[in-house]
Amino acid sequence: MNATRSSDTRAPDGLWDLAHLQPRTEVVVPGDTIPAIFWKAVEMRGDRTWLRQKELGIWRAWSWNETAEAVREIAGGLMALGFAPGECASILSNTVIEWVLCDLAVLSCGGVANGIYPTDAASQVHYLCEDSRSTVLFVEDDEQLDKALEVRERLPLLRKVVVFDMEGLRELDDPGVISLDALRALGREHMQAHPQALAQRVAACRPGDLAILVYTSGTTGKPKGAMHSHRGLVYTMHGYNTLAAQGEDDERMCFLPLCHIAERMGGEYAALYTGAVLNFVENPETVPENVREIAPTVFTAVPRVWEKFYSGVMIALKEASRLQQAAYAWSIGVGQAIAERVLAGQPVGGALRFKFRLARWLALDNVRKLIGIHRARFLVTGAAPISPELVRWYLALGVPMLEVWGMTESCGASTGVPASRIKPGSIGPAAGYNEVRLDPATGEILVRGPNVFMGYLNLPEKTAETIDADGWLHTGDVGTVDEDGYFRITDRMKDIIITAGGKNITPSELENELKFSPYITDAVVIGDAKPYLTVIIMIDQENVEKFAQDHDVPFSNYASLTRAREVQALIQGEIDRVNARFARVEQIKKFFLLDTQLSAEDEELTPTMKLKRKLVQAKYAERIDAMYR
Amino acid sequence: MTQEILQLLNVESAYGPIKAIRGVSLKVRQGEIATVLGSNGAGKTTILKTISGIIDPRKGSIEFKGEAITARDPAHIVQRGLVHVPEGREVFPLLSVRDNLLMGAYTRQDRDGVARDMETVYGYFPILRERAGQDAGLLSGGQQQMLAISRAIMAAPALILLDEPSLGLSPKLTREIFEIVVRINRERGTTILLVEQNANMALNAADYGYVLENGRIVMEDTCERLREKEDIKEFYLGLKDDGVRGERRWKKKKTWR
Repeated sequence: MNATRSSDTRAPDGLWDLAHLQPRTEVVVPGDTIPAIFWKAVEMRGDRTWLRQKELGIWRAWSWNETAEAVREIAGGLMALGFAPGECASILSNTVIEWVLCDLAVLSCGGVANGIYPTDAASQVHYLCEDSRSTVLFVEDDEQLDKALEVRERLPLLRKVVVFDMEGLRELDDPGVISLDALRALGREHMQAHPQALAQRVAACRPGDLAILVYTSGTTGKPKGAMHSHRGLVYTMHGYNTLAAQGEDDERMCFLPLCHIAERMGGEYAALYTGAVLNFVENPETVPENVREIAPTVFTAVPRVWEKFYSGVMIALKEASRLQQAAYAWSIGVGQAIAERVLAGQPVGGALRFKFRLARWLALDNVRKLIGIHRARFLVTGAAPISPELVRWYLALGVPMLEVWGMTESCGASTGVPASRIKPGSIGPAAGYNEVRLDPATGEILVRGPNVFMGYLNLPEKTAETIDADGWLHTGDVGTVDEDGYFRITDRMKDIIITAGGKNITPSELENELKFSPYITDAVVIGDAKPYLTVIIMIDQENVEKFAQDHDVPFSNYASLTRAREVQALIQGEIDRVNARFARVEQIKKFFLLDTQLSAEDEELTPTMKLKRKLVQAKYAERIDAMYR
Repeated sequence: MTQEILQLLNVESAYGPIKAIRGVSLKVRQGEIATVLGSNGAGKTTILKTISGIIDPRKGSIEFKGEAITARDPAHIVQRGLVHVPEGREVFPLLSVRDNLLMGAYTRQDRDGVARDMETVYGYFPILRERAGQDAGLLSGGQQQMLAISRAIMAAPALILLDEPSLGLSPKLTREIFEIVVRINRERGTTILLVEQNANMALNAADYGYVLENGRIVMEDTCERLREKEDIKEFYLGLKDDGVRGERRWKKKKTWR
């Protein structure tokens, strides 16, 4: 048995060799609530490693038992603070081990766990705590604590703020603030006095109970808290393993925000269920180094990350010698030839396999190592549209990339591309655990199944707008479906552009093509009720700086870089390249470059670092108007 | 618009495989004091060394008074009127103060002018006249800095590159040196490119500033406006609000806007 498991987790030789990516339908860990599964998994896996995180530069492993001990103490501490079942605790932190510990402790107490983005401002922290009626707020460090303290007076329900990292807070003397260590000490005492308390709470937790809140980053208006029950989470957790199974020998990297459904479900809960090891990155800036160190065997990320890796390789390539460039060009050509055959369902012959082996040895293995995907059995992309070209590139490296599609309200993935039949540009057929269909009238994609959320907290009307009487979730995405049942997203329903000429245009198609350019990070196409299309572009700073440097284009700061004539011409060239693929009315006539360097703290960006269409349109209305003058 | 006396276009310099400056473009206008701010290792000194020809750049071009001086011989560059006051003063320790000053005038033929400038620098720094006969190595750090600046003036340059004049000096001495630097600029019309870690001093003395981080310029503006930028206040001037707890240890993210 052991032998087959280890062969299960090896990286494939090439794209023709994906037979081992099998779905797994049997239940791995029994239980019908998240805490029940967690405590059962602890029993089953004991001293095996589950979590890994760097401490002072050295990886420290947390076994299931160690994790359980920490969770038990935190849960005890929460109970000592009077945290009752059904109460909500919010977590304001980057993706660190403590996030997972506190999440599991809150759920084990029968509470509701809510995540807050560490990039949120104090006012947003206030809104989310107030709306979720949080009684306990976990914060990562002094920086996050300051946000909490700023708004604490206006949060009468908030009883305690718990700080993970007390560095710089030794002098702090505040009855409303406690360190995580102190909370655990409190928990140890509480558990001694009430040894059965936690087990009782876990047993009392019902599948229908509200488990987590995931706030959707409302591009217009306030964020809405999507409610997920234990039943929905457990059902979906089982479901994920039927798309592409993973197991205890898999290494994963935990780095996306845990308040986002993708990392919460696809990372934390999927690993909880399957036993895959979760490796935490040091901080969001060290992701590229950490990937190489961890070399995940299963890797889920958002398109922005895949784009970044790709453009990193392109930069390295430009600095490489002629010989290396030639080796890469030949090798990726072989990879592409294989990818084409595999995508067309044709067998890959022995000669081509041999050439691919050579290609890997020459260049492709180095490219994989440069990114850190040399052990990857498969890659998963989701949470935003990805350019099919980019998917093809990863396929050409010989690493299968599977696109999934879903949303917060469907508890993550609802459709997924199976490894056995990849179609770049398609989000795959409906996952076996839910129904997906098109609204015959509007083409909107509808989802139905136990994975669909319970509704928005405190917003019954909004819930009724989203889930219809027959239980179909209206996703807002418009798409098509082919004869094999594979869905394609054309666009967000509300984003579809109807030009003054009456032509319907799906901006994401153009935007995805633009984003494939290494010089363009993100783009927003404009043109609703306008005579022609225009686009707002966010450049890729690193690559454009490199371009400027290589071509002797003088610039000093970011703004002057975006204004340089040569850079404008470069982007125009990229737009022309994309325009060539579209009909005349769908072509982009004008553009402008955002001249401020945006970071996650800026309102223009979503936490996944994409431009918010509505906000950008409103904020730059004047410059947009200028393009139509 | 006054004319540029010095212009760098996409200059890239490296020490072996390590790129110290990665594409720097900047202008120094005739008669102004320009400053380059940056932390340790940002590449400030490398910029100056590249300008004065001590390091040859990998890429880019440098123009001084309309003439390309990229990778020219340092001696030629000095003759064209560009003098470098290096970090850590680098006076000739075994030569007398007077001889040090005369070394500065090595490239000049006009004896009268040299004598006049000698008087001028003694006017700026009377202590140098008192110590004229002593070995320069016996001067204090501040006096050596004065000597290094004076030695530069002795070449009657159009542009002085000044590398961290405040290094190792007391705040009082730093202030004095900066006052003289401004006087030299105002009275003699000498253009100055100043590199400093002491951002407060530099921003008060200079007219135009560049901020260098990791070998790239991230911000440029008049010093007046730079002083008002949030990032400059927080990261270079140490002015920050203390937050709700009255003490704040964490740093905001730099945005350079």
